[in-house]
Amino acid sequence: MAQRLALRRLLAGPGRALGTSAGRPSAFNVQDGGDFQERVVNSAKPVVVDFHAQWCGPCKILGPRLEKMVAKQEGKVVMAKVDIDDHTDLAIEYEVSAVPTVLAMKNGDVVDKFVGIKDEDQLEAFLKKLIGA
Amino acid sequence: CSRRGKKKKLIMEVMFQYSLILFAFSVQAHKEGNPQKLLEMNGHTAVPHSYDYDLIVIGGGSGGLAAAKEAAKYEKKVMVLDFVTPTPLGNSWGLGGTCVNVGCIPKKLMHQAALLGQALQDSRKFGWQFPEEVKHNWMTMTESVQNYIGSLNWGYRVALREKKVTYENAYGEFVQPHTVKATNKRGVEKLYTAERFLIATGERPRYLGIPGDKEYCISSDDLFSLPYCPGKTLVVGASYVALECAGFLAGLGLDVTVMVRSILLRGFDQDMANKIGEYMEEHGIKFIREFVPIKVEQIEEGTPGRLKVTAKSTKGNEVIEGEYNTVLLAIGRDACTRKIGLDKVGVKINEKTGKIPVNDMEQTNVPYIYAIGDILQDRLELTPVAIQAGRLLVQRLYGGATTKCDYVNVPTTVFTPLEYGACGYSEENAIQKFGEENIEVYHSHFWPLEWTVPSRDNNKCYAKIICNIRDNERVIGFHVLGPNAGEVTQGFAAAIKCGLTKEQLDSTIGIHPVCAEYTRPHNNFLCSSCYLSLTKN
Repeated sequence: MAQRLALRRLLAGPGRALGTSAGRPSAFNVQDGGDFQERVVNSAKPVVVDFHAQWCGPCKILGPRLEKMVAKQEGKVVMAKVDIDDHTDLAIEYEVSAVPTVLAMKNGDVVDKFVGIKDEDQLEAFLKKLIGA
Repeated sequence: CSRRGKKKKLIMEVMFQYSLILFAFSVQAHKEGNPQKLLEMNGHTAVPHSYDYDLIVIGGGSGGLAAAKEAAKYEKKVMVLDFVTPTPLGNSWGLGGTCVNVGCIPKKLMHQAALLGQALQDSRKFGWQFPEEVKHNWMTMTESVQNYIGSLNWGYRVALREKKVTYENAYGEFVQPHTVKATNKRGVEKLYTAERFLIATGERPRYLGIPGDKEYCISSDDLFSLPYCPGKTLVVGASYVALECAGFLAGLGLDVTVMVRSILLRGFDQDMANKIGEYMEEHGIKFIREFVPIKVEQIEEGTPGRLKVTAKSTKGNEVIEGEYNTVLLAIGRDACTRKIGLDKVGVKINEKTGKIPVNDMEQTNVPYIYAIGDILQDRLELTPVAIQAGRLLVQRLYGGATTKCDYVNVPTTVFTPLEYGACGYSEENAIQKFGEENIEVYHSHFWPLEWTVPSRDNNKCYAKIICNIRDNERVIGFHVLGPNAGEVTQGFAAAIKCGLTKEQLDSTIGIHPVCAEYTRPHNNFLCSSCYLSLTKN
């Protein structure tokens, strides 16, 4: 795995963008099960969870697009990113088969979900529904 | 949706507490070195016939996964243990086995990359205009290949989960009858019992056993995810792995040398093997024949670095030296059967080769232990063979089927720069089995239409049919050297399985213009743009 990881890091570029234009980071990478429990399940604010993988092309398109739309919601919703290879147990627990899979979570429960790429308008509607619901 | 989530959280918390208690006890039991107690902890009693699983598969490769998924169809409780011991250089990979990660899949993709390079050159003659210099970027290709492999690894995990097959990324070894120990990468050990076991552990590349081999040389296990372009490469070996790798590396524009101890493609039709070698040599790949490396030293570190290889002649005392960026060892593969505790359960292996002898039901000498895939003695080392054997075995075990795996007339393809497809006997084996006077060989060279305009070789592509005169001139061997050899051969394999005779072949009208039509060496066929010579051997 070491060589494959080295290869991926080499090609990862300047690093995963976590910041936003507003200067306040609206997306974070889940570190482990405990981190997920604390910052997603137990989050006071609603959370969108972006399950993605390094080898997934569409994920690389959806990720930044979702982050941008989350940032537009001015802190009303938080975004968590889960790499399914790093956190396979989480992916299995939440029944992720294909990526990208995005879950909308409120008070620890999954209230909405989609698989695959969506455009900005669709993402905005998805987020507004989560915040409003 | 929300109620399910809350319930799930509660269940998770209760299970967490329960597993903490279990964990504490099992740690205690483990410390006492008491596997029996551990078995009891795992929820089964001292009664020997209540097993954890119906079937435990050791090895999550082509054969193992196919068998596991098939067994799940019969609602059997199945576990797959897959673990990749890192290469000497520290490389490892995900679920799926050799084929998916470091074999067929990345190999064919890189072969395709090389073919595309050739196609780019050909395209100019067909009118495509682009700058003189066309370069290849190793990293871009490797990233694409690894991304695809990553999706396959994940796909296999999902497939196992959906079929309710338990999967553990752990090293499985037998510790006592009906019991395996699974050790994960953190060293945590667990014991599992099963009614039956399937060994599908596959093979790993062999090293030379010379100074510097493990420190400085790479193998096919490392090549397909190498995080830097290998540069000037020495490929050691004459296996299909060696020739396929040398072939695509050269096709990508690298300086490639192949060091061969004796013959090319041992076990394959030697007439065809020599034609493959000739083609590669004529296309810029250097061959050093009848030499073996005796020492590899590092001149300079780097990615790639510089290595000095010292080699000795097999025919005398001559010693030569060469400098390369990368040395790729492809001298053979060894079965992973020596460190999985087979002695603890009495499974006999061929001590010399490590391979496991099985009967025609893939059963080892221990009735409840089966084996499939590359580790089998006297069987073919091919993914589709392992898959078929695995599926049929499970159908016999749980489905009441009786069909055995047919290892005869299995088609194969070698993806060298000039591809080679084959099914059935090699010419030398046919002569040996049936007698030279009883076989007839029909052959022809051909010039693919696509090669005419770009002025590519007009006398290299070749097809050969071997017939058994005594048996109605039945086609017993098929060999083709040319583009898309695999595609051409697949259908032929079905025809041979049905007992194709020369007469039936002759009376099958060809498709024109394709290469495959030349696999029907026929007196009457002539085309002005083709170079066709037909002779009886």
